[in-house]
Amino acid sequence: MEPDRLVQSQPTVLERVVAFVDERVGLKTLQAKMLNEPVPGGSRWAYIFGSCLLFIFVLQAVTGVLLMFYYVPSVDHAYASTQYIIHEVDYGWFILSYHFWGSSVMVVMVFAHMSQVFLWGAYKSPRELIWLVGLVLFSIVMAFGFTGYLLPWDQRAYWATTVGVEIMDKTPIVGDFMARFLKGGPTPGQMTLNRFFLIHVMVLPAALMALAGLHIFLFRKAGPAGPFHGGVEELKAKTDYFFPRQVWKDIVAVSVVFVSICGLAFIEPVVLLEEATPDPGDYHPEPEWYFLFMFQLLRLKIFGGELGQFLGAVAIPGAFMLLLAALPFIDRSPERNIFKRPIALVSYVVVVLGIVLFTVSAVINREFLD
Amino acid sequence: MQPTLKSTVKCTDREVGEITRIIVDPLSLEVSHIVVGDGTGGQERPVPMSEVQQVVGHVVHLRIPSSEMGRFPVLNRDEYVTTHEVEIAHLEERLHVEPGEVLVPIPDLERNIKRRTFFTNLTHAIGILLGLPLIYPVMKYLMKPMYLPYDNRWIKVGNVNKIKVEDTGVQFKFRKKVKEAFMPEVEILKNVWLLKATPEVLDEVYKGEDMHFRDSQGSLIWTNKRAFPYVAYSGKCPHLGCGYKWRKVRKLPREIFLCPCHISIYDASGKVLDGPAPRPLDPVPIRVSDNGDVEIIDVEFKAGVRDRIRIL
Repeated sequence: MEPDRLVQSQPTVLERVVAFVDERVGLKTLQAKMLNEPVPGGSRWAYIFGSCLLFIFVLQAVTGVLLMFYYVPSVDHAYASTQYIIHEVDYGWFILSYHFWGSSVMVVMVFAHMSQVFLWGAYKSPRELIWLVGLVLFSIVMAFGFTGYLLPWDQRAYWATTVGVEIMDKTPIVGDFMARFLKGGPTPGQMTLNRFFLIHVMVLPAALMALAGLHIFLFRKAGPAGPFHGGVEELKAKTDYFFPRQVWKDIVAVSVVFVSICGLAFIEPVVLLEEATPDPGDYHPEPEWYFLFMFQLLRLKIFGGELGQFLGAVAIPGAFMLLLAALPFIDRSPERNIFKRPIALVSYVVVVLGIVLFTVSAVINREFLD
Repeated sequence: MQPTLKSTVKCTDREVGEITRIIVDPLSLEVSHIVVGDGTGGQERPVPMSEVQQVVGHVVHLRIPSSEMGRFPVLNRDEYVTTHEVEIAHLEERLHVEPGEVLVPIPDLERNIKRRTFFTNLTHAIGILLGLPLIYPVMKYLMKPMYLPYDNRWIKVGNVNKIKVEDTGVQFKFRKKVKEAFMPEVEILKNVWLLKATPEVLDEVYKGEDMHFRDSQGSLIWTNKRAFPYVAYSGKCPHLGCGYKWRKVRKLPREIFLCPCHISIYDASGKVLDGPAPRPLDPVPIRVSDNGDVEIIDVEFKAGVRDRIRIL
C-alpha cells in the first residue's frame, strides 16, 4: 500500500477503538517495552525455563479453579467429591490429572531454571535480589505441592501430610506451634484439610503472583545476564530483542511442556487409594517423588534419634537453603563461566548426584518392604 | 509553543546544523552518536562521538571539515526505537541530558518540610496503632483448635482370645468417635498392637516400674502395672508418626515391628533394633475385663523426640 493512500483512508471501527484505548492506557508503548527487551548475545534455548514456569502456573490456576467447581474441602466429602471429579464429571479425570502432573513438571522446571541460573552465574551482582526472590518462589512451589497433596483425602494424601507435618514439628522452639498451627489441632483432621485447602488456593497463589511479579520486575530492572563468554563487540553483534526469536523458542518449549503434561495425564491418570484414615492398612506411605530423597535421607541411621532427626529434617535442609541464599554474597568473583568456577561446578554435580542417589535408593528400598 | 533546547554543530570550517537526536549504545549505556540535522527538517546524519572535539556552551565542535560530513550515512529512522519503546536496564539513570534536570515547581502549600515529615510519621503511627492490637485477636482466632484437652475415654478394641501366641504383635483395629468443631460426629478407623508378653519382655517394656499416664493438668488417670501381661502399643510410629506392622522381613530371622516409612525396626518389647526411631514403641493404658474384653485409652505422644510428650 502506498503511504499517501494509507493516510487518506478512513480508520476502521476496530482501529479507532484500539486508538482510543491506546491513548488512555498506552498499550502500544507497554507492548513495545515488553517485547523490545534486548537479550545480550541473542536468544537461546537455555532461557526458556522462566516462560515455561509462568505458563505452567497459569494453567495450574485455570485447572485449579475448574477443580473447585466440584471439590469440597471437608473430611466427609473431599474424597467423594474428588472421586466424583474423576469418575462422573465429563473430562474431570483429565483436568485433575493435568493439575497433578502439572505440579510435577513445575518442580522439574524450577530445578531446570535454578540450574541454568546457577551454571550461568546469573545470580551474581547486580542480580542478587532476583535470586533471593527466586528462592522464595522455589519454596512456594514446594509448599504448593505439599498442601495440594492432602486435598484428595486418600491414604496417600493423609500419610504424606502426617509425616510432613511431623518433620516440621522438629524445628526448634517454634516447631510444635507450627505443626499444630498447620494441623489445626494435635492430629490431622477437618481443621488440617481446611487449612491446607485455604493455603493452597488462596495464600500461596497470592504470594506466588506477587513474588513472580517482583521477580520479573527485578529481572527487567537488572536486564538479562546473557552468556558467560564473548567480548562486548561479539555480544553486541549477536544481541536481539525478546521478540521474536526468544518468544519463538519460548513458545516451542511451552508447547512441548503442555503436550508432555497432557501425555502424562493420558498415560497415568490420577487414581485415588482408599479414603484417608489413621490406620494405614497395607499402604506403605511415601511422599511425592520430588520429596523422596528427603524421605530416604531420614531413613539413615545418622539422622535417627532426636538430634539426628533435627539434623536431617531441619538443620541440613535449612542450612542448604541459607547457603543458596548467601551464595551471591559469598561468591563475589565476577567470573561467570562455569568451567572457570570449579567449586561451583563440583558442588552442583555433588548435590544433583546426591539427590538422584537418594531418590533411586528410596525406590530400591520398596523391594525390601514387599 | 514549547521551546526546544538544541545545540549547534560546527565543523572546523563552518556551522553544519544542530543536534536533532542522540543515539545510545544499549550495552555501554553511553552516547555513541549525535544526529546532526540541517535545521530545515531535511537529511539527518549520525556522527560518532569520536568525531566530537569539544563542547562549548551550546556549540558542539567537530574535528572534521564540513566537506567530510557526507561520509556519514543518512539516518534511517526505521533502524531505531526510542527509549520509550525499549526496556534497557539503568538507561534513565545513566543518561544525562545537559543542562541537567527537568524541574517542576512544588505548590506553595507544599513547601513546609516539617509538616511533611510529621504527616509521614503520623501515617506510620496510625498504621501501627491500628495493626498491633489486631495481632492478638487474629492469632487467637487462628489458634482456636490447636490445643485441645486430652481424650481419656476408654475404648473397647476387641477380646484377648484373638491372641494365640505370646510375644507376638496382634493388631486390634477400632473405630473411634470423633467430634471436630462444627463437623458431625464421625467414626475414624485406628489401631493398636497388642502383645501377650512373657515376663522377660514385660521387664524390657516397663523396666521394672509401673507406667503412669496423666491428663493435661498432670493428675494421674491410669497406671499400667508392670506385671500385667497384656501390653498395647499406640499404632503410631514414634519416629515420624506412620503406621507400623508386625511382620516377617526376608533378611531378618524373626518377626519384628517394622515401620515402612523410614524403616524403623522394633522387637516385641518395642525396643528399637534398627532405623532412625528415637525411642521404643509407646504403650498406652490398657485394661482387660474378666471375660477378656480389651479396653484402651487412645493416648498419642509426640513423634520424633526421646521423651514421651502426650499430645492426645
